[in-house]
Amino acid sequence: MSASPTFTGSAPRGTRVRATLRSEWIKLWSVRSVPVSLVATAVAMLLGAWLLGAGYQSEWHEMAASERTSFDPTYACLQSANLAQLLIGALGVLTVTGDYETGLIRATFTATPQRGQVLALRAALFATVVLLLGATVSLAAFAVGQSQFTEPVPHATLGQTGVLRAVLGVGLYLMLIAVFGMGLGVLTRSTTLALTALFGILLIVPSVLTMLPGRGAEGILPYLPAVAGSQVLHVVRSGNSLGPWQGTALLALYVATTGAAALVMLRRRDV
Amino acid sequence: MCAVIERRTAARSARLRAAVVAEWIKVRSLRSLPTALLAAAVFSIGLAVLVCASFHARWDALPAERHRAFDPIDTNLGFLQITPVFFASLGALVITSEYGCGLIRGTFAATPQRGLVIAAKALLVGVIGWIAATAITCAAFLLGQGRLAGAAPHVGLGSPGAARAVLGGGLYLTLAALLGMFVGVLARNTAVAVSGVFAILLVLPTMVDNLPHKFLWRLTVPYLPSNLGLSVWHHGHLPPDLARPGVGVLGLVAWVVAIAALGTVRVRKRDA
Repeated sequence: MSASPTFTGSAPRGTRVRATLRSEWIKLWSVRSVPVSLVATAVAMLLGAWLLGAGYQSEWHEMAASERTSFDPTYACLQSANLAQLLIGALGVLTVTGDYETGLIRATFTATPQRGQVLALRAALFATVVLLLGATVSLAAFAVGQSQFTEPVPHATLGQTGVLRAVLGVGLYLMLIAVFGMGLGVLTRSTTLALTALFGILLIVPSVLTMLPGRGAEGILPYLPAVAGSQVLHVVRSGNSLGPWQGTALLALYVATTGAAALVMLRRRDV
Repeated sequence: MCAVIERRTAARSARLRAAVVAEWIKVRSLRSLPTALLAAAVFSIGLAVLVCASFHARWDALPAERHRAFDPIDTNLGFLQITPVFFASLGALVITSEYGCGLIRGTFAATPQRGLVIAAKALLVGVIGWIAATAITCAAFLLGQGRLAGAAPHVGLGSPGAARAVLGGGLYLTLAALLGMFVGVLARNTAVAVSGVFAILLVLPTMVDNLPHKFLWRLTVPYLPSNLGLSVWHHGHLPPDLARPGVGVLGLVAWVVAIAALGTVRVRKRDA
């Protein structure tokens, strides 16, 4: 009896965090869909910037005066973030639901029973990757797009007010969308449901509101997650939209709420 | 010789029938398809009624230019800008859900003629999609016009262009479902297929819409599936550069055929 080995409990916290980070890092990159989607995001951003830049450049003389004065050369090149958010959001969903569908999540939580910690570290890793990739690709897309513009089309430089913020804002926006997707993935534990919820909130709700007449719908629109969060991409502010940082803060609040709900549900439910 | 050919064709038609029956069992026994169709119906009809009811309630307060631009059919059928995404996602799920759970291996083991399996699925998606889509657009139209009655201008199904818009909407939704199904065949993965469908039908058209409508734009943008669909169901003044309704139908069919061809090649070459 006295010879039985004594268990010292779980590993010290620092070691565990480091080990979890390492295993999550391996998981992130060993699935082919992650690098493929990230490359697709970069291609979509660059190609979009090139095509849209060329489009505005070649047809500039056809644009109405009002369109010319409200033209935002920075946003014109960054618009493809709207496409990129689909890929990045779906990838965020998949980093969670993929594990549920293959059953890997059970092995993960058996190895590290601190479920909240596992998911938080995974989210931190994925968010960092998306932030860095988004910001880098966006800088390149900005350069590609601006290189298309010659007189008389106005072109933006990074030194102008708000331009650098908008360009780096792509990384910030995509990062928040990625974590939002992960949160919805934990809440629904199903790829289909999570994707429906994510795209419904980001895309369908704003289109529905623009169909309704009257002030009520117009009043709600600026406070929707995608509309608020994407204000950071605009240099020229339009209508009754929120400011760039207010919008980002509001999106971050939505994401944090979803994340908190996800952490609670993660602890309560079976895997 | 003749008997051999006869027997072969008989065997082939029996195989098609068997494949369709097998797919029908899958469709019938899965709870998710009827549930999703019901959700699409509730969303579409609900949105049509909501939009019409809010125009009815605010009609007198709206400015004169909104009154002039108002088209009761287009306002009523506005959900056709969103619902195709549901139909296309549903179409994609018919395939990708089988890849997701591994059922596809059983399916292809039972019927190694993969093209036949895809054709049987397409047949069912087309028929079920068309019935559901037409029922949804009809119901949305009748209920929506009923809501408009009293305050705003409204029309009946018999008025010029109304039946074409309603049937055109049903056709567009059906073709969207088939398009989504073949995107699913290409992607073999729910997440990729659903994001692709959203990108093609919802995000891309809004992104390029702001570009100046010149040479390049006129050659490409009107032929995006969503804009072809708009030509098919839209009733009032079409935005000037869009394709004509006939071109819309043909263009959508061409999209479906092109993606179907790519998908069929891929499904034959890849592992299940």
